[in-house]
Amino acid sequence: MWIYAGRRVIQGIITVWFIATATFVAMHSVPGDPLLSDKAMTAEIRANLAAKYGLDKPVFPDQYMTYIGNMLQGDFGISFTQQNREVNDIIREHFPVSAALGILAVLFAALGGILWGALTALYRNKLPDIIIMFLVILGISVPSFVFAALGQLGLVGLNSWAGQTVLPVAGWGTVSHMLVPALVLGLSTMAFLTRLMRSSMLEIVNSDFVRTAKAKGLPPTRIFLKHQLRNAVLPVITVLGPAIAAITTGGFVVELVFAIPGLGRYFVEAVQQSDYTVIMGTTVFYGAFLVFMVILVDLVYGLIDPRVSVE
Amino acid sequence: MNSSADTTDPILKVSDLRVEFDTYGGIVQAVRGVNFEVSEGETLAIVGESGCGKSVTVQSLMGLIPMPPGRITSGSAQYRGQEILGRTRINGRELRGSEIGMIFQDPMTSLNPTMTIGDQIAETLQVHRGFSKRDAAARAVELLSLTRIPEAEQRAQQYPFEFSGGMLQRAMIATAIACEPSVLIADEPTTALDVTIQAQILDLLNDLQRDNNMAIILITHDLGVVARMADNVAVMYAGEMVEQGTAHDIFYRAAHPYTLGLRAAMPSNVDETAQSLQPIEGSPPDLFAPPPGCGYCARCPHAVEVCATKPPPRFSLEAKHNVKCWQHHQDAPSPPTELFLSSTTQAGDTAAP
Repeated sequence: MWIYAGRRVIQGIITVWFIATATFVAMHSVPGDPLLSDKAMTAEIRANLAAKYGLDKPVFPDQYMTYIGNMLQGDFGISFTQQNREVNDIIREHFPVSAALGILAVLFAALGGILWGALTALYRNKLPDIIIMFLVILGISVPSFVFAALGQLGLVGLNSWAGQTVLPVAGWGTVSHMLVPALVLGLSTMAFLTRLMRSSMLEIVNSDFVRTAKAKGLPPTRIFLKHQLRNAVLPVITVLGPAIAAITTGGFVVELVFAIPGLGRYFVEAVQQSDYTVIMGTTVFYGAFLVFMVILVDLVYGLIDPRVSVE
Repeated sequence: MNSSADTTDPILKVSDLRVEFDTYGGIVQAVRGVNFEVSEGETLAIVGESGCGKSVTVQSLMGLIPMPPGRITSGSAQYRGQEILGRTRINGRELRGSEIGMIFQDPMTSLNPTMTIGDQIAETLQVHRGFSKRDAAARAVELLSLTRIPEAEQRAQQYPFEFSGGMLQRAMIATAIACEPSVLIADEPTTALDVTIQAQILDLLNDLQRDNNMAIILITHDLGVVARMADNVAVMYAGEMVEQGTAHDIFYRAAHPYTLGLRAAMPSNVDETAQSLQPIEGSPPDLFAPPPGCGYCARCPHAVEVCATKPPPRFSLEAKHNVKCWQHHQDAPSPPTELFLSSTTQAGDTAAP
């Protein structure tokens, strides 16, 4: 198991290096640079600044080598547009916010997906199935900013009806701030997982070993929990790794609508302003996070499915 | 009807069982009035080709038919004198796994892949017999050794994918007999196994039956298995039981042309009788619209006019031997000599053709 994990980590490092290189190339291929700001700037100041940040050197190999070298030491540099702010500080300050929101969203998505998926399979072609599958199509096809706005509207309605603040409409700080944004953030993943769980469950319900369980005279709840659910949940777990990454990195719209100080906003702003160091920092960080999550899920999978030996 | 002259009361008695399935193509009449009974310590083999309704018959007794699309339209099944058809409990006690055990054709897919073998065996003891987790686990190991699995203690901790097919079928048997059921239903238990393993599994079933005085209902299409195991045999064709009798009756005094056909299609290694295998020409009737007469009529070499228009009644030949074939009617013209014809034929419940 440890050898396997080690090998996966080495593969992961190579993947992250690919991500870093690709981002670097893409970033420099886009017209514009971080020194193009609104402020009037003489050619001299511009040249001085370029010299200070090393932007006067050739992109390859000098700038590239410097980035990779610094990155290996865990130093993502200083933001170009937000003076005196280290990229590491930005990540350290704002990632935990995105992560907390993301974990809650993944929890909603996974539990909801498994529950609704199992339910639709058990009530196949009956009313609960039809209603839930209709909502699932809605959840997959409606973009998250619509749900975010609707969620906020709902909160305003709830608060004015109750005459007090039941759940805050925006902002950050307590669990009550997180609930609705996390739900909105996890909604499309929940819908996707529901469909996956439904088809997986339908297959299991008709399998030979479930027939055996019935022939053994086991109570339906035991058949459901011990024989159906555990086997049906396996395909859901495989996609959970990418889902976690997609949710934690894809939260910037929701963060914007609910005024949550997450990392997503910095990521988008950095791309718009060609803030090289912040782009590199956040991309490589998110890339590494995704790779780590996928490895973690694969290791956990080995614990749940005895047929998969992680060696 | 089967004889009531039996000395022992049957432990399971099924009469006039009919099962239908709704499909896109129409209603399939899978089982069309089946009667049989089985007593303690006795093995009844139900033989017939694929799709003749063997499995549906026993699965409907076990409540394993998905309803819908399945439907039991009539009949009765009595376990120790109590009606069990359409229900799975009598007197608040679960029958399945407790009174009636069942094993299936394909052991490779019939066990839960994410649960240890030991847990799967122990489960029934915990649910039906109130065993503690620890006692059930210990008993599971004993059951595994009873089914001749070596190193049972380690094996109990393993998962199905770590077992071979023969071992899995033993584990299935261990699960089915855990609660010492009175009836064991074996639905083609050796079809997926190779011949040497097949013999071991059959021996095991024989020994377990002797020790526990179980009744076994064995479903198979293999007459070799029947010869080895069965006390009584029911030959099924197109959802009906066309001939029933002791194993001796079926092998030496077959009275139905289909039974003869099955025997001719079986390889033999006895020199005098060795001949090329005779396939039964044609295919079974469409069960969406069963023929008005005898189901075997279209393939039967001895069919006469009445066979196509009227279903044959059941003729009693001997105490346990009965057959549904017009050739046994008293007015039948020159019945073929290869059919066993009893002198008691005339005493059967005959109806004028």
